[in-house]
Amino acid sequence: MNKSFSFPIIFMVVITAVFTLILAYLNYTTVDVIAYNEETDLRKTLLYVFDIDIPSEEPEEIEKVFNEYVGEEEVGDDTIYYVKENDEITGYAFPVDGTALWGTVQGYAAISGDYKQLLGIDFVSHSETPGLGGRISEEWFKEQFRGLDLEDVQDGQYIVYRPAPGGNVDAIAGATQTSNSVSKLLNEDIYEFINRRKGE
Amino acid sequence: MAGDSPKKIFKAGIWEDNPIFKQVIGICSALAVTNLMLNSLIMGLGLIFVTAFSELTVSLIRSFTPKHIRMMVQVLIISVYVIIVDIFLKAYYPEMSKALGPYVGLIITNCIIMGRCEGYAQNNPPLKSFLDGIASGLGYTIILLIISFIRELLGFGTIFGYQVLGSWWTNWTIMVMPPAAFFILGVIVWWARSVSGEDEKEGGAIS
Repeated sequence: MNKSFSFPIIFMVVITAVFTLILAYLNYTTVDVIAYNEETDLRKTLLYVFDIDIPSEEPEEIEKVFNEYVGEEEVGDDTIYYVKENDEITGYAFPVDGTALWGTVQGYAAISGDYKQLLGIDFVSHSETPGLGGRISEEWFKEQFRGLDLEDVQDGQYIVYRPAPGGNVDAIAGATQTSNSVSKLLNEDIYEFINRRKGE
Repeated sequence: MAGDSPKKIFKAGIWEDNPIFKQVIGICSALAVTNLMLNSLIMGLGLIFVTAFSELTVSLIRSFTPKHIRMMVQVLIISVYVIIVDIFLKAYYPEMSKALGPYVGLIITNCIIMGRCEGYAQNNPPLKSFLDGIASGLGYTIILLIISFIRELLGFGTIFGYQVLGSWWTNWTIMVMPPAAFFILGVIVWWARSVSGEDEKEGGAIS
């Protein structure tokens, strides 16, 4: 065994360089695939909130449908998405986020072009308890938000849980904190979005 | 441990020296990812891969590695393989990568890998070290699958995502939460230790 002072340093440098090279190569070859996967995820989310059917789970198919219907636009720091039909915008999708029980919840909400209806919501990431708050990403919960009326609403309380007066959505039993946070962040972000658009 | 036959290595990894209930290492992830069987399986496969290849690499370069920096070298090697697993999942199994989240990166902190590198690969030839990695990883995976089987069945009424219990079944929320893993793991360690009929050695403290 070499007991010299410099050998361990040289050894460490060489071995680090070799392994870093391997990783750099791997990263280089997969970076496009990973970026594409992330885009596909986002496209799926947006198509879902606009309630556009996805013909198959194939990433290429999703991309085709997405490009056919959805356009995007930069507003401030956010990217918002819109759907056009006969040159008329029929819906907007925009990012929503806020803190819930365990951490940040991020997602997208879509509203109709005349700001009168909520088209749908979806969550991109959250860290709520699986089986409890985590159920916000279940189909039955998200589907409840489709077609909610946004017009005759007081003080931006678009989403109100039943059985409160004017309730339009069921909360998740056993996950009151998460449910409340979700309605709060949706109400706030929808309110802000509509006001900003109308103010323009 | 020189001169071990593959059979002996596997017997040790899966039963006699099982990392979870004998050495009681790698507990952290055993508690964290066992709420669904699929998560546990992928986590187990990831760990088998990382442990086996880390041990192989450590063993291959063991005669050149200066003794006093061997741990640095081991950590480096382990992290390389963990990043490979992470990149692989992100590129080809994005859904899985999302489900496991930060736990993939945390494979690196799993004591099993470092423990086996230091305890076995440092003193044994490459092929045996590789097998030892697979054996230890299997021992870990099997326990994870047992825990997640119980948790997923009682917590969601499903196995690998397939509904097996009817709508009459009321999900046990506690099973989905981390405490359930503590109970089940405790029971498994208790059972395995009484079956193997070995007394706790004096001063055999476990960390």
